[in-house]
Amino acid sequence: MDPLLLGAIVAIATILVLFSGVSVALGLLIVSAVFLLIFDGARSLELMPELLFGKLDNFALLSIPMFIIMGSSIASTRAGADLYEALERWLTRVPGGLVVSNLGACALFAAMSGSSPATCAAIGKMGIPEMRKRGYPDGVAAGSIAAGGTLGILIPPSVTMIVYGIATETSIGRLFLAGVIPGLMLVGLFMAWSLYSTWKSGNAAQLGAGSYTWAQRFEILPRVLPFLGIILGVLYAMYGGIATPSETAAVGALLCLLIAMIIYRLWNPKDLWVVLRDSTKESVMILFIIAAAGVFSYMLSSLFITQSIAEWIGTLEVNRWVLMGVVNVFLLIAGFFLPPVAVILMAAPILLPIIDTAGFDPIWFAVVLTINMEIGLISPPVGLNLYVINGIAPDISLKTILTGSLPFVACMVLAILLLCLFPSLATWLPDMVMGAAR
Amino acid sequence: MAGHSSAVASHTGDNPFLRVVAALSTLAGWCSAAMIVSAVAITCQMIVVRFVLNRSTVWQTEAVIYLVIAATLIGLPYVQRLRGHVNVDLIPISLAPRPRFVMAILTSLLSIAIVSIMVIYGYEYWHFAWQRGWKSDTVWGVRLWIPYLALPVGFGLLLLQLIADLVAVLLGIDKPFGLEDS
Repeated sequence: MDPLLLGAIVAIATILVLFSGVSVALGLLIVSAVFLLIFDGARSLELMPELLFGKLDNFALLSIPMFIIMGSSIASTRAGADLYEALERWLTRVPGGLVVSNLGACALFAAMSGSSPATCAAIGKMGIPEMRKRGYPDGVAAGSIAAGGTLGILIPPSVTMIVYGIATETSIGRLFLAGVIPGLMLVGLFMAWSLYSTWKSGNAAQLGAGSYTWAQRFEILPRVLPFLGIILGVLYAMYGGIATPSETAAVGALLCLLIAMIIYRLWNPKDLWVVLRDSTKESVMILFIIAAAGVFSYMLSSLFITQSIAEWIGTLEVNRWVLMGVVNVFLLIAGFFLPPVAVILMAAPILLPIIDTAGFDPIWFAVVLTINMEIGLISPPVGLNLYVINGIAPDISLKTILTGSLPFVACMVLAILLLCLFPSLATWLPDMVMGAAR
Repeated sequence: MAGHSSAVASHTGDNPFLRVVAALSTLAGWCSAAMIVSAVAITCQMIVVRFVLNRSTVWQTEAVIYLVIAATLIGLPYVQRLRGHVNVDLIPISLAPRPRFVMAILTSLLSIAIVSIMVIYGYEYWHFAWQRGWKSDTVWGVRLWIPYLALPVGFGLLLLQLIADLVAVLLGIDKPFGLEDS
């Protein structure tokens, strides 16, 4: 059979199987097994456990549970609330300071915890009621937190970027750096929109600011600086060439756990177990998808599907930007239904040859892909962050949260366009720190 | 969807089979968490040996890799029990109770089939390594049947948990896909 036609059949089968509600990892194994059985014979099934084990046999994977432990130990403490308060106290004089400090707290907390829903919950619980009390429109209050929470998968250290690095064999260090400037750019765009729409709503006059003494401002610092210090230390160790991402992540995980225990008194074995249980649960889920996706991509290349798609794209007479547009729409749709890591793992073996053939930089593409995934997190029908916000602010209607989030989706689309116009937004920092890629 | 940190375990009622399987899966989860913690500890020890004491390390990298693999495989049944394996539940949610029930049975059977394949061939792979005394080609030279053991054990326990989940839905102890009736 023509590999391209076969590829289309595999794609349809995968969609059908995944939409049946079976878990993503097992779904990928089922599709792989069926097609290997039909086209390579029963003996190829014997290879599956070996392939699966082989895919996990990689030291870089250690960084996934390590960064997850870092994030969930931070998320289990009051660190989010402290961070929010610290920024509020320090930024109170800035016009529109409250929404600025909320978005800043979201960005920082999302980077540290790496979890979108945790960020929305931690910052939103304090931030949303406070913003509404001071006259910010409901839509801005809800939307800014929903959008701010998505930044965690872009700003380093990001588990999503690690998974992309592993799936596509690109440098995790470069990927982390590539997310920094676009992440800051997104924060800037979010802030600009929030301030503009608050001003337009006509409530700007009553946006009173709380006032704090310098003593109050300094008093809160000892509680937030250690975590920030660890994150910066981890990034320094990685780029200083001191240790690999996995090694620094392990040290970071240990330190974050210790800080949570010492500063936030997370001593109770039950509370510690919750941190460990959640980390184990999420790590196992992601690692199993990685392993299953490895078997899936073996199936694709053993049936010559991957190679044929790349060849076919090469012969297409389409503009590469049209191609990029199509890829983006595909990712956007996939992101509506699936968590970022699952989309990346499934799409990477198919998309990367396309991206390569069309001459796009895989590091730059990682950033575009990640922003696409962020859009998925705040878009209906399954945008997770929308429901988290709905949970912590039940008196704001889902419709208001939705319409409040849409302008932030537009900011993300704008960011993707800017990245297409100026690719160096993503590639400049990694090239400067680590030397030119090729 | 992904990322919810709340752990809603599947229901067992007072069915003895379901409770035994749940206990086994929970035990597996503890083992998995312990292995991840050991991996953290060993990695930190390795960094001390390499960068502080300036000595070379022999077994640490390999041990950490195998610990993470084992944590993943042995953790599978526990994560299944907590419904932590991400799925796309858009269609199951929109179905009426009856078709949703049928769909849950169908996906359970598919999952059980694929995991059975992994158990059988995982066992064979482990058995080869054990019978032929395979060793890893590193200085440490681990007997490979030890890490490979995680394949049949992890998938075997996952199979048990999947069967238990199916039984719970069939007996009406648990809801299909764990979804509440809307």
